[in-house]
Amino acid sequence: MSTLDPSLIVAAAPAALPAAKAASPTKAAFRQFLRSPSGVAGAAMLLVLVLGTLFGPLVYPVDPLDIAGLPFTPPSADALLGTDYLGRDILAGLIHGGRATLMVGAVAALITISIGVTVGALSGFFGGWIDSALVKIAEFFQVLPPLLFAMVLVTLFGQKLTTITLAIGAVSWTAAARLTRAEFMRLRDLDFIKASRAAGAGNAHLILRVVLPNALPPIIVSATLAIGVAILFEGGLSFLGLGDPNTMSWGLMIGQNRNYVLDAWWAVTFPGAAIFLAVLAISLVGDGVNDAVNPRLRRR
Amino acid sequence: MIVQDSMWPVAGSPYLLDVNDLVVHFRTGRQRPWSKPSFVHAVDGVSFRVRRGTTFGIVGESGSGKSTTAQAILRLVPVTSGQIVFRGEDVMPLTGEPLRQVRRHLQIVFQDPFSALDPRRRAGDQVREPLDLLQIGTPSERDARVLQLLAEVGLPPEAADLFPHQFSGGQRQRLCIARALAPEPELIVCDEAVSALDVAIQAQILNLLKKLQRERGLTYIFISHDLGVIQHFCDEIAVMYLGKIAEQAPASVLFTEPRHPYTWSLVAAAVPPGPLRDELKARYLVKGDPPSPVDPPPGCRFAQRCPFAVDRCREESPYLDAIGAEHFVACHRKDEIPPPEFAVSQG
Amino acid sequence: MAPVLRVDDLSVSMTSRTGELVPVLENLSFTVDKGRTIALVGESGCGKSMTALAIMRLLPDGFVITGGRVLLDDEDVLTARPRRLRALRGNAMSMVFQEPMTALNPLYSVGDQIAEVLRYHRRLGRADAAEQAVGFLKAVQIPAAEQRAQAYPHQLSGGMRQRVMIAMALACRPKLLIADEPTTALDVTVQAQIFDLLAQLQDETETAIVLITHDLGAVAELADDVAVLYAGRCIETGPAQQLVDRPRHPYTSGLLACVPHLSVGTARPEQWVDLGEIPGMVPSLGARGPDCAFLARCANAGAICRSRPQPPLHDITAGHAVSCWRVAEIAA
Repeated sequence: MSTLDPSLIVAAAPAALPAAKAASPTKAAFRQFLRSPSGVAGAAMLLVLVLGTLFGPLVYPVDPLDIAGLPFTPPSADALLGTDYLGRDILAGLIHGGRATLMVGAVAALITISIGVTVGALSGFFGGWIDSALVKIAEFFQVLPPLLFAMVLVTLFGQKLTTITLAIGAVSWTAAARLTRAEFMRLRDLDFIKASRAAGAGNAHLILRVVLPNALPPIIVSATLAIGVAILFEGGLSFLGLGDPNTMSWGLMIGQNRNYVLDAWWAVTFPGAAIFLAVLAISLVGDGVNDAVNPRLRRR
Repeated sequence: MIVQDSMWPVAGSPYLLDVNDLVVHFRTGRQRPWSKPSFVHAVDGVSFRVRRGTTFGIVGESGSGKSTTAQAILRLVPVTSGQIVFRGEDVMPLTGEPLRQVRRHLQIVFQDPFSALDPRRRAGDQVREPLDLLQIGTPSERDARVLQLLAEVGLPPEAADLFPHQFSGGQRQRLCIARALAPEPELIVCDEAVSALDVAIQAQILNLLKKLQRERGLTYIFISHDLGVIQHFCDEIAVMYLGKIAEQAPASVLFTEPRHPYTWSLVAAAVPPGPLRDELKARYLVKGDPPSPVDPPPGCRFAQRCPFAVDRCREESPYLDAIGAEHFVACHRKDEIPPPEFAVSQG
Repeated sequence: MAPVLRVDDLSVSMTSRTGELVPVLENLSFTVDKGRTIALVGESGCGKSMTALAIMRLLPDGFVITGGRVLLDDEDVLTARPRRLRALRGNAMSMVFQEPMTALNPLYSVGDQIAEVLRYHRRLGRADAAEQAVGFLKAVQIPAAEQRAQAYPHQLSGGMRQRVMIAMALACRPKLLIADEPTTALDVTVQAQIFDLLAQLQDETETAIVLITHDLGAVAELADDVAVLYAGRCIETGPAQQLVDRPRHPYTSGLLACVPHLSVGTARPEQWVDLGEIPGMVPSLGARGPDCAFLARCANAGAICRSRPQPPLHDITAGHAVSCWRVAEIAA
């Protein structure tokens, strides 16, 4: 390699470039996220919930499955948020149950997105018979009522938290697959993809390094929202009596106490409020992420 | 439809590329579920050869297949049939690693500099990409090479750290040229590479491309719809219409004695304003728009719009016949209709 | 006779993110008479499309008119009330855009879209409007106009769609037609046809035309006068043929020199001759000082250019005005 003559560069430079070295799109998006009031508010709420479930047991060391007092004790000094139909402490249930609920939400969303992105990427990138086959498979999952399908899976494979998580992931990946497929089909024909191919890129490189990063923004938004959906799903399954009876979760608390809602409002209301707040926080974060990664849709 | 002798270019041959009866058809679906599928005849039997170190121009309107031809040479679109002989080797059967190695010598610059760069990667990384993918040089050599390439296309070294949106259209096109130059190709396909640029920037890029050709002995295939640009930039020119070559000649011949009625029409539309333009337009400018290349009718593709068409033109497809040194025309009536007089103009 | 359109000292600014006003168009003045055409020429970013939108009062959000007057038949468009403005648009002035596909509504047949204009502005009945719509399609030389009136925009070719746009724009016999790069998106042979059509329709209707284009070489065919814009300022204006044959501003001559025009009948030189080049690019918005905006790219710039603000347009012959300190020296 020959060394460069600096004078040559200056002489040939056709025009001034922007002086500032640009932040990468990822950093720019993060900065933009910090400017979104709803996103920051949601992130703060979520942080409180996560920290509460992580460190709550240290501050409030009560086993959620132990009988802590009389059944249906209203909120009082003994049990801050009351007890349920078996006399278990509601606050302890919230703290411990939150861990399970948020974990189920996050892991199920991860499964949803992994399956969805893989199927959508292959389908959208290759087209042809691969696309036809994968779309047929996705349609098969789409025509089944998701809650019913998940119930069947949980009934067949047992009421365990892992089964529930897998079931939620298995029934809800089609939306992510559709989204990813559409993004890949849009990007597939752009010139810079062709330019990479002309530069010697193979399919794996094109999919993972070129197309996927450009398809990510809407996928990230849908992943965020998928956590909220999974939490609601877990709540729904538990409500129908298909939760894991050995692991406390918000959904389970509602499910087990739903018959006594008129006698002990607190047993259902507090876990319900917790689910509401968690899903709201996640939606707000999703909103902020959307603003950050889709600058064109941003409100002025 | 073989128009030249079938000698393949080999090392030492003056020809770098030999395209033989190239056909690209796209399926577009059917009218009814039970009917036969329709095909877009994007490129329908195109043959030409490109000499080393020269510029081969392809000119035509939308639907002529000029861009598809260009991208087919790089195998960026699926080729239906035909032969593409590059550096003495038929590249059509190649896949995988051998195809990648061929692409090292065969690069492309696209029309729209805004969609031709990945918005999420820094400019330097994109210029580097071919070097990384084809494992050319050591990583530090690649960095140095990127700076050298940027300098060659007239960009300062700081450009490497910027993102595509921070550049103007002309600067982006310079980046695309730097990326195409990176693996030291022998042939660069310029697919409407200056069409989207402002005229002043277009001149800068054309001058740059010419400078690079002089310095590196590059061969270009230059696709454009602008006859003026084509005339100035190209050594040999093929005029395409609906997937076929209508006329092919060296630049000096094509614009002194064009022989195809479609070339006349293009010339009439592109001559600068003046009495000659008015005269040519009145006599040769065709009416209407180019028809769609889906399921084209038999006969000469231009017959529908040709003011000189007779029954034979609508029934029988003309061959691309040699009528002079390096001059080929596909027209049944080439010997019957007198070519236009350009004498009025040069006053 | 008063001109159809008189633009006086028109200035347009953009509100920047920090709330400052950044000039986009500065003190532009020109007039167009009945049956005449003026071409506004320049590179992208020079303000020519903004001029068109300002005349129509269709500026996008964030752009404001900061000064000047736009008189359409002695009526100030800039102070017209919304109701009056709607009547003026379409009726007295109309516009043809670059991309005819996005400018037509894909859900209605083209005949219906023209008829709609007639019913709204001319208060015609349904049958009358439909009949006249077919008449207009015939006037823009669309073959089989009766059938084509039933067609939807996507069923027509680009050239056909642009003809429909022209028919629609001329349906109410406007006094002024603004054509914003009307042929840029079309094939070359179709471009020539559309230019011919515009010229012919203008002969019949005596509409005044403001033609916006980037191709200075081609304006002589359609335009009577030309105004060359650079970085939001008019730097040269004059009769089209004279300006193309004897440009006086370095930017104008640069623009002409950098376009390779087709020459036929003579063999081109064997050796490549570099095209005339204007180095650099148009200064970005906000980077334009009071001095000559072309200064940084000008090969002829002298001390006087650097020491004084950009001169106003001054006549060098009747009707031919240039904004350049060194115009006399450069010509010599």
